[in-house]
Amino acid sequence: MTLPFFGDLVVRTDTSRRDFETHPVVMDAVASGMSVQRYRALLLELYHVVWHFNPVCAAAASRMADDLASVRYFLYEHMHEESGHEVWVRNDLQAIGVAPAQTEAHAPGVNTLALNGYNYWAADRRHPCSVLGMLYALEVIASVYGGPFASAIKESLLLEGEQGVSFIGSHATLDAKHMAELRQVLNTVHDEAARAAVVESVQVNFHHFTRIVEAL
Amino acid sequence: MNAPERVGGLQQLLGRPYRTIRLEWTSELRQLRVRTCVRPIQCYSLTAMGELQQVLADIAAEPGMVRHFVMTSDVPGVFNFGGDLALFVLLVRAGDIDSLRLYGQRCVDLIWWMENAARLGVHTTVMVQGDTLGGGLESVLPFHKVIFERGAQGGFPEVLFNLFPGMGAWDFTVRKAGFRVANEMILSGRLYRAEELQAFGLVDLVVDDGEGEAAIEQVVRGVDPRLRGTLAALQARSMAAPVSYDSLMAIVTLWSDAALRLTDRDLRLMERLARAQARKAGGADEGAVEEIKRMELDTAWEETHTGITAWGELH
Repeated sequence: MTLPFFGDLVVRTDTSRRDFETHPVVMDAVASGMSVQRYRALLLELYHVVWHFNPVCAAAASRMADDLASVRYFLYEHMHEESGHEVWVRNDLQAIGVAPAQTEAHAPGVNTLALNGYNYWAADRRHPCSVLGMLYALEVIASVYGGPFASAIKESLLLEGEQGVSFIGSHATLDAKHMAELRQVLNTVHDEAARAAVVESVQVNFHHFTRIVEAL
Repeated sequence: MNAPERVGGLQQLLGRPYRTIRLEWTSELRQLRVRTCVRPIQCYSLTAMGELQQVLADIAAEPGMVRHFVMTSDVPGVFNFGGDLALFVLLVRAGDIDSLRLYGQRCVDLIWWMENAARLGVHTTVMVQGDTLGGGLESVLPFHKVIFERGAQGGFPEVLFNLFPGMGAWDFTVRKAGFRVANEMILSGRLYRAEELQAFGLVDLVVDDGEGEAAIEQVVRGVDPRLRGTLAALQARSMAAPVSYDSLMAIVTLWSDAALRLTDRDLRLMERLARAQARKAGGADEGAVEEIKRMELDTAWEETHTGITAWGELH
């Protein structure tokens, strides 16, 4: 049975996903939440990941060859949907005691710089389809682990409703729809160099994201 | 038989690097012991299944090399939690039925090997210490000899999140315990103690906690002198109560279709179980088993207050 590329990608990057999921810090966060200090630190780092998400997509879209027009259009749609989501992170931070000015002044840590730096570099120098690897890793993190993590945070910090978890909580649901769309677009990628770039990007994104959580 | 080839095959088998299993070889009995250790959450991850499949393929490639195949868990308190829940959630959310079916096929390939082990000249024994849930319990049913320590428990909790065990549970439970027991176990989602599973006929031997190792030794040494006759009888048993690969795969197809119809609420229950597994792996006293019991209570509460039972919904 030969799998379409999405299934193949799941199999080829399963170890990276499992390494992220089973990292003791990640497991503890999903099982028991985290202190408000560490949650603030996580959201401050996430703010920069989200802030650079659309520019990375734009960089990739601008370099996408014409035979990958469907991927380019997918990115346009995706950027439109993600536009302004950094505001959700800023609001969540405000709900847990971080003023918007503090959020904007926060200098990202080296792991966040490495994540964003890789994604810009890969879109520019490796292959524009690398961006699909970034999307896959971040959407798996959001849609598979985001829901339980949001529940754990609400329980551990006694937050009410969506206050303080609107970004993570809503992405857990939103990205479920995105996962189905991403599967469809990944299955249109047939070039082996593009596929290899996507696989590498998934591995690197899981790696750096794990380091971000680990360093909190 | 070609002895040097067999040694080469064995060296290759034992010499491979493995992440999720540990192998032990007892040359006197030609016994291969597989200790599973998918840390920190013991489940059938893709890597674990790939490594097991490789071991089984190596054994099948060298007839006569292995006479006894023994499987145990190296993770204290857990034999196996079954499927990789996070992977299921990923594939369901992505609507990826091909990969769900492939995952099911990989599971079926493992149990199909066990089903045919006697034909390959291999007697199989499994010893369960701790919890074995869903696919974990399905995976032990095709073994020739199933040993449980008294503190172990097992069940098929899938119905609690609107799914069913789709990789051999029906075929092997019906064969060993009958239709009534299969119905009760699969449709209730309940967990059962070792003695209950033995009374059903799913477990051959229950021993006190800590006595499992001695029981393996006793079983293997008891079978070894009459291995050829035992294997012939076990092949005949399979013919008398046949299980077919096609039937197993047809059920996998139904399972993957059902998985794709899981709702957000169902997936959240699955995630609740995954969180409980993570808590236990992190050192908490309570884990997936306690969470399943809570989910059973929630279901019972809903039935009491709504009058709707799982059976009622079926009819």
